[in-house]
Formats: sequence, structure tokens, C-alpha cells
Amino acid sequence: MAGRARDPGFFVGYLNSVPRPLAIFLVVGAAVLVGGMAGLAFALGTNVNDPGDGTFARKLGKQEMSGILLEKPYPILRVRPDAKNPEARTVMLTVPGKRSVKRRGRKLFDQLVDVKGFMFQRGDIDMLQVQGKNSLKAVEVAEGEAPPEFTPAPAESLGRWRLIGEICDSKCHLGAMRPGDGLAHKACANLCISSGAPPIFVTAEEGAVEGETFLLMADQDGGPLPDHFGDYVAILIQLEGEVERLDDLLVFKVDIDAAKVF
Amino acid sequence: MSVRYAPVGWNRNKIIYDVVVLAAAVAYILLYIKIAPGFQDVTKPTSGAILRAQAFGTCAFLMLTFILCIGPLTRLDARFLPLLYNRRHFGVITCAIAFTHATHVVSIYYSFSPLNKYVAVLASNTSYDRFLGFPFETFGIFALFLLLVLAATSHDFWLRFLTPPIWKAIHISVYVAYAAIVCHVALGSLQSKQSPLLAVIVGLSVVMVTGLHLVAGRIERQKDRNTAESAEESTDEAPWVVAGDVESVPDGRGIVVPLEDGERVAVFRYGDKLSALANVCAHQNGPLGEGRIMDGCVTCPWHGFHYRPEDGCAPPPFTEKVATYRLKLDGRRILLDPRPNEPGTYVEPVRVAPPSVTEA
Repeated sequence: MAGRARDPGFFVGYLNSVPRPLAIFLVVGAAVLVGGMAGLAFALGTNVNDPGDGTFARKLGKQEMSGILLEKPYPILRVRPDAKNPEARTVMLTVPGKRSVKRRGRKLFDQLVDVKGFMFQRGDIDMLQVQGKNSLKAVEVAEGEAPPEFTPAPAESLGRWRLIGEICDSKCHLGAMRPGDGLAHKACANLCISSGAPPIFVTAEEGAVEGETFLLMADQDGGPLPDHFGDYVAILIQLEGEVERLDDLLVFKVDIDAAKVF
Repeated sequence: MSVRYAPVGWNRNKIIYDVVVLAAAVAYILLYIKIAPGFQDVTKPTSGAILRAQAFGTCAFLMLTFILCIGPLTRLDARFLPLLYNRRHFGVITCAIAFTHATHVVSIYYSFSPLNKYVAVLASNTSYDRFLGFPFETFGIFALFLLLVLAATSHDFWLRFLTPPIWKAIHISVYVAYAAIVCHVALGSLQSKQSPLLAVIVGLSVVMVTGLHLVAGRIERQKDRNTAESAEESTDEAPWVVAGDVESVPDGRGIVVPLEDGERVAVFRYGDKLSALANVCAHQNGPLGEGRIMDGCVTCPWHGFHYRPEDGCAPPPFTEKVATYRLKLDGRRILLDPRPNEPGTYVEPVRVAPPSVTEA
């Protein structure tokens, strides 16, 4: 054949013999294929995004805390300070799976409750996964004793903020999945949030609001986000709204429809 | 060649082929999920389930890229022809890996909610009206569906049952699957990656697949033009056309003659005889003219299907047939009647003087 320097031989698959020049070529080709795939695996497998330090902190053991259970914007616990944790704090709540605390806590909202479970932690934000039998119940008062009293501090307004960042579901972003952000994770985040996981706004600039990067999201009236929130999850957006402080947790109250998409 | 359908007609070459493909896939996946994490620059490691989904997904994409390059590579260098022989197994393995990627994704991202996980795949992201955030999973589902159809119909039973033209038309949709996977990756994983490496690899894949096809197509057209030019000398003996000189057909081999209607004819010389057949193998449209004469039969370079040069019939007990063409000689010129005979029609070979032998 014109232009072909040397005849490599004719290969017929069902004949077991392969012409020697062709056999050499194929052995080299097979080595290149296997070696090339191995090289690409190493290159792609090492070039991954840093998923952050979010973790399911099972090693901390089962946590017990009591406080006021709030339903809005998403289930949170205003934790009552005690001898072990003298600082007031507010913890987002979840349950195992992509489900909401709402079902288990429906008769307990705005009451003082005892909660048990395991923590998700990322940076200085955490979340309690309510887990186990009787892990969410009204505080029990011994006969003859006065019920404990606890009034959480009122929300402190930090003014209006214009922030750039990404809406994530708190559970995955805090360690249920690594990575728990980005477009590859969008559908999962949508499903988690619509199933009851509190959405958080992760600012592009670290510590953008009073040193905090993660803000619990709410609509302008302090309720949950509208149903079409999913269009804005996992993409870089700019949102404007009032930021409130609930102890150590910031809440970002926004009109999601005013989001500017980059 | 086979007259009895078996799940796989194993032979040594097929086993070696599959072992190499599986070795490449296993090496890729093990390195990705077992070795590479030890070298990641991360605060905490990527979740194992996500790592596995990434490993299977990228592996399937790379394997599909390689599969699509095999065709044009064989046009550029005949040494790649053996890669075509068992390409269907390569495709089925790729489909299995893509399916594993999908099952991992469903079990990580769409399970554990009150919604059925398969409903959740379609219902969780419905931002079809925007580019960023578009449900890229849709492209992946579509591509996987195509790959499953191709894998399920890859056996020769379906080739025979559907007939080669329909089978080929269905299997050409592998390019649609590839395009869908590129969209799936471009709108999904690529948008989340900080490192440009995946983008570079996807870009190279697209350039390689399209570039090789364009180059191979250009070379094919050039070959046709060269053949047409060499046979430019016309003849008044309508409908005969000049196919070339006797000397242009090596003994035991063929030349491919393009016709004005786009068909191609394979003209073979075997000893002192010349015969002409349709260039398209009845099995998978392999280029018969690039085959050889083995055991007195034209042998397809793709899968080794045999046809007798005189009548275009596969020798018994096989039943494949291709069209034959009439030839005659005008001096040393080979003239070809471009009207095809019914597949399997006997045509008396044209006799030529045997190739001259010069003794040293």
C-alpha cells in the first residue's frame, strides 16, 4: 500500500497467531493504555478540591443538651447554658438521612427540650444530628420541682448586608459529604434542603460577616426559603438582606428572588 | 465467523483483549480510590463514596474516548485494526463502568430522603431554564440509556435480527452518547473544579475524537481522489469504468474503487484471477478491499469474515453474501461494470498473466 513503509502483517482475530511485528506493536500499545490510564488516575485523583474540614464528629461521643426548640426558619435549638457550656449558643438540628427534625419535634416547638445526638462540625459552626431513642423530648421535671426557666437572648440585628457566596445544605457542607458544595452536589443540596436540612449561605470571602463564613438562611420574614430556592443553590450569587445574630449563629434574611447570579 | 449464537465466542485474542481492557480499568479505579488520596492536598479526605463515583465516571469517559478513537486510528494506521476486533467488549465494559458510576451517584446523592431515589434524580434539580445550575444529570441519564441500549444490542444475534444497516444506525448513536457525556461533565463536575486538569483532559478528548475523525475522513477522500485520478482515463465502453491497472492490484490483496454514486468496490487479485465485490462487509460494514485473500477467500480486516471472490458468498456453513461486479480487461487496464449484481451472484473471474517473477 502506498505510503506504508512496512507491512505489519494481517490480523485475523479468531486465528490465534498474530504476526510478530503486529504483536510487538500491540504489546507496546497495551502497556501504553494501562500505564496511561494509571497516570491519568493519579493525576485526576490527586487534583481534587479541598472539601474543607467538615466532619461527622462521632468521636466526640453522644452529646446531650437542652434548650428551646424553634421551628423557624429551620429547626434550631437555643441551647441553655450549663456548667459544662456556660456560653449561650444556637445549634442547627437535623436527623439521620435527608429528613427534617420537624416530624419528631412537631409537638415540642417553642418548648424547653432535652436533645441527644452527634455533632457535625466545620470550622466554628456545628450542627446536632438528633439520633437515638427518646433523643428529643420535653424537659422532664421531677415531681415537686419547679420547671426550669430559660429565655434565650433576643435576636441582635447586625444591619443589612450584601454578600457574595453559595447556598449549601448545612448537613452535607458540615461534613455529611466531602465535598458538600459546588454544582456537582447541587441536586443533593436541593434534596436535603427540601427534605428539611437548614440551608446555609457560605460567603465567598472567609469570615465576611463579623468573622463568620456560614449563615443560616431565612426569607425576609424569618421563615423558610420559598419552594423555588433550588434555582439559586450551589452557584455563586449575590444576596442582600438583614443579618441577625442568635447567640453564635448568624441568620441571613433575604429575598431570594433578588439574587444576582454571577 | 459463527453460525451458532453463543454468549461469547471466546478465543485467545479476545481473552487477551478483555484482560488488557480490564487491567486498564482496574488500574485506573484502584489508583484513583486507593493510592491518589494519599497524595491529595486537602484538609480532610474526599468522602469514599464520592471518590468512587468520580473514579468510575472519569474512567468511563476516558474509555469511551479511546473507543471512539479506534475507528479513525485504523484508517490512519492498519496496525490499530486488531483494536476493532473486540471493540464491542470494550464498549460493554465501559457501559458497566458508567452504570456503576450512576449507581454510586444515586446511592450517595439521592437516597435517604422521603422521596423515591429514582424520582429524586429527576425532581431534585429542575433549573432547566438556566445555564449555570442546569440539571446536568439529564445528559448523564440520556448517555447511560444509549450506552445500555448499545451494550444490550451488541451481540451478533441483534446484528442479524436488526440487519446490519439498522444495527449500524443504532450503534452510531455512540457519538450522541459521547456528546451527552461531554455536556454532562462540562455543566457538572467542570463547574465545580478548581484545578483546570479535568477541563484540559475533556478538551483534549474532544479535540482528539473530532480531530482524528476529520483527519481520517480527509485522508479517505484523498485516497478516493487519487484512485479516481489514476483511473481518470475514461473508456467509451459504457457503462464500464476504469478501475486501474492490473499492476496496481498486488497479488492476494485488493484495491478500493470509488464509484460516482458514492459506493465503493473492492477489486481483488489472486494468482492469475481478478474479481470484484462490494467493499462493505455484510457483518459490520468493514472495508473488504483492505482485507487479504486467505484460503482462497476475501477476508475482512475487521472480524475476519470470509467471502469467495467469485460469488461474494461466505463459504458453507456460513450464509453472508455481498454484491459482485463484472470485470474485464482492456490491455492492462481493468474495466469495471458499476452496476452491482445481486449479492451472491457468480461472476467468472477475469484471468490475467501471473505476476512476473524476476530471479536473482
